[in-house]
Amino acid sequence: MKEMQSVGRSVRRVDAALKVTGRARYPADYSMAGMLQAKVVWAGEPHARILDLDLSAALALTGVVAVLTSRDVPRNEYGIIDLDQRVLAAEVVRWTGEAVAVVVAETEEVAERARDLVKVTYQPLPLLLDPIKALDPGAPLIHSGRASNLLGSWKVRRGDAEAALAEADLVIEAEYRVPLVEHAYLQPEAALGYLDEAGRVTVVAAAQWPRDDVRQIAHALNLPEDRVREIVPSIGGAFGGREDISLQILVALAAWKTRGPVKMVWTREESMRCHGKRHPFTMRYRWGAKDGWITAAKVELIADAGAYSSTSKAVVPGALSVAAGPYNIPNVWIDARVVHTNNPPTMAMRGFGTAQPAVAYERQMDKFARALGEDPVSFRLKHLWDEGSIQPTGATVPPGVGVKETLRQAALAIGWRPALASGGQPSGKGWVRPELPPLPDGRRRGVGLATAFKNVGYSFGFHDRSTARVTVDLNERGEPLRAEVFSAAAEVGMGVHTVLVQIAAQELGLPVERVKFHPVDTSETPDAGSSSASRHTFISGNAVLAACRQALAKRSPGERRVEAESTYDSQDARPTTGLDPETGAGNPHIAFGYATQAAEVAVDPVTGVVEVLRMVSSQDVGRAMNPLMIEGQVGGGIGMGLGYALMEEFKLRDDGRVRTRNFSEYLIPTTMDMPSELESINVEVPDPAGPYGAKGVGEHVMLPAAPAILNAIRDALGVDIDELPAGPERVWRALSGAGRASSGPERTPAAARKGAPE
Amino acid sequence: MELVVNGERRRLRVGVNESLLQVLRDRLGLTGTKEGCAAGDCGACTVIMDGRAVLSCLVMAFQADGRHITTVEGLAEGGQGGKLHPLQEAFMEHGAVQCGYCTPGMLMSAKALLDADPKPDRETIREALAGNLCRCTGYHKIVDAVEDAARRMAEGAGGATVAIRADEARVGKAGEGS
Repeated sequence: MKEMQSVGRSVRRVDAALKVTGRARYPADYSMAGMLQAKVVWAGEPHARILDLDLSAALALTGVVAVLTSRDVPRNEYGIIDLDQRVLAAEVVRWTGEAVAVVVAETEEVAERARDLVKVTYQPLPLLLDPIKALDPGAPLIHSGRASNLLGSWKVRRGDAEAALAEADLVIEAEYRVPLVEHAYLQPEAALGYLDEAGRVTVVAAAQWPRDDVRQIAHALNLPEDRVREIVPSIGGAFGGREDISLQILVALAAWKTRGPVKMVWTREESMRCHGKRHPFTMRYRWGAKDGWITAAKVELIADAGAYSSTSKAVVPGALSVAAGPYNIPNVWIDARVVHTNNPPTMAMRGFGTAQPAVAYERQMDKFARALGEDPVSFRLKHLWDEGSIQPTGATVPPGVGVKETLRQAALAIGWRPALASGGQPSGKGWVRPELPPLPDGRRRGVGLATAFKNVGYSFGFHDRSTARVTVDLNERGEPLRAEVFSAAAEVGMGVHTVLVQIAAQELGLPVERVKFHPVDTSETPDAGSSSASRHTFISGNAVLAACRQALAKRSPGERRVEAESTYDSQDARPTTGLDPETGAGNPHIAFGYATQAAEVAVDPVTGVVEVLRMVSSQDVGRAMNPLMIEGQVGGGIGMGLGYALMEEFKLRDDGRVRTRNFSEYLIPTTMDMPSELESINVEVPDPAGPYGAKGVGEHVMLPAAPAILNAIRDALGVDIDELPAGPERVWRALSGAGRASSGPERTPAAARKGAPE
Repeated sequence: MELVVNGERRRLRVGVNESLLQVLRDRLGLTGTKEGCAAGDCGACTVIMDGRAVLSCLVMAFQADGRHITTVEGLAEGGQGGKLHPLQEAFMEHGAVQCGYCTPGMLMSAKALLDADPKPDRETIREALAGNLCRCTGYHKIVDAVEDAARRMAEGAGGATVAIRADEARVGKAGEGS
């Protein structure tokens, strides 16, 4: 292999200079002469029939150009998997973030006034906010004409979990609950729509999957896809929240109808109310162990889909596939269901269904270790996967399994030590917990860790494709002088453009400064799929790598420019399948990224306030393409995981309206919430199918943080908290023996033990 | 009203309900300053007014009358294209920038801090940035960058000029050819 002059180095991000000078432009920063302004009339009720829509007062206002309703939408349907959402509500609204009309006016002020003059008369329909109640046979239907509110269900049956539970000498059963969570990217949705010089409906917007936006816009407007174009400038974060359509079709429709440029900018309140969320889950875990080994995992997952399907039918089977953790457990029984309610639709969010079960399976592992008198490091190590281990679906774990090493590294860094024999060498008899001297202020200290994993790329037989084109200018000797990479990979902040430039520079033998990344524009850059599933380094990286090698192979004497385009399709290299509907058998995933994170906390027993003092993250990334950017992903992943653990919960009022409307009500971590010490350790067990062995990093570095913090709280206080977020009230109540802080019936997660060693 | 923005005197008529943020972005075209919440919660709109970091979404335009404002566009010596401020250099080198939407506000909060306290410790930096939300980085790289910028400034090291790659989307003109 040639010397690595760019891959593996912390090269500066290609967009860094634009971003530190304020020259990077985000959707709201684009304007055009004569631009109109658009505002949305949102559903006034969370579940209601629209009886009447009176536009007269709005239309009478000077400066109003158009008020668009469902009748103006050529094909009034969209959705990333199912076309179950209406661009503009026609008859029924099913959540408060549903658009009913769009007002287009000469100024933003007039658009706002006209929006408030649109009169909608609603007939309220029964409200369903609890997914478990929505499963009742007599529950009102969110989507009339269907048999029930159940959107989907999946199962895994491996071995005989019931028999193994009956034979177990230790059974631990608990119900874990995780809340609705907001992506909270800093850039609220905004878009500019216009007809370009070729008459194409053009939208400038922040999107994770530009090509899929084009598909959905073209469908709704009943236009051929080549008459629609999306330009993706700088994006202010995404985390899954921009995978679905938000305002793109509304802006395209307004531009198409008025024939003029139209801008729409959402407020923070609109952003929080009107895009989807992370799925809340109720997770019932009943696991059994015999002779110190976990022999059975019985798991029941119930997820809230909210009002529409979005990607729920991929998120929830994803959760199912990881629900028993990266552990060798011979008997596995998992049921997963996802149910419609009148809550916000739930969708992709960093982890895509793997963050929720990680909270449950990592609390289970800690509880078993404690009950069996083993340390949490050794207990995990003896169950963790190796190369060749078998997943609950029966498939062999994809090659490149560095999970045990992530655990060893994280445990060592936070202070666990292999137990030593009298001679001073490791005794092979477990790991010793770090000693934590008491804090002078009376707060209790604890330390905990958790291991988790996430698939890289799209699963269940989906063709995970990415196309890249590369142009290379050559000197008279045929050596590359400079190059340009064309790929519609959306740069949502993680650094994909930089990694793809690094790969091209590496393959072409150029300094990264000589490789340009062409701006993302669906009319010029080929489809790279979505910026999701931690997939671009692996999937799009392979596409860029192949395009570069093909371009070089095309050189002929005297030629000064070569070009090549290549498509990578995961089904060729690492085929996956769906799951058998009865047994769950199948080979669902392309590759896995693994991570272990450890936390040291201080808990105030009087107030219940948890402070995370220190965190360590060790992640198997296959190959560290850009170590500094990986540290950035780790920091952000820990931040999001810490928020999940301690403070984040998107709340609705009993009447279905949003309670947490903005950043003063929906709290995310600030500088002061983050641990003052943070350490990141890469483990590099290459995946032979990844470019240079790389796997990906974006999601798995977020997953273990929350269960690690819960495990540290247990270590500090001696009480189990099995529901997120572990805010002061919940911690205080757990400590004072008052049970769960949430409303609802008391549930006892206490271990049901038969002859368990104490 | 009249105000000095990035060293340049500007006179303009504003509405009574307009915020300084709207004046900067919509009237003066200085879109480097971002709106994240319009409620003073996120810090993305932070600019420096007469030496102090302020949330420009909460400052009414008339309150800025006669004031000196510095935005991210005025951070480099000599304005855009000039020598970068050590904070800008440090943010690039330390990986303090990911999506970049919080970056202009972070830079201005950090500049206000370093102007007042040239040698802050990490805890002081964390406190000074507590009003600036970031969802991408977890803040550590940002704190590293501010710490390093302070060190560079103490050593008197000026920033270098950096060629800015113009990898920006081209957006066409309205209605052309349609």
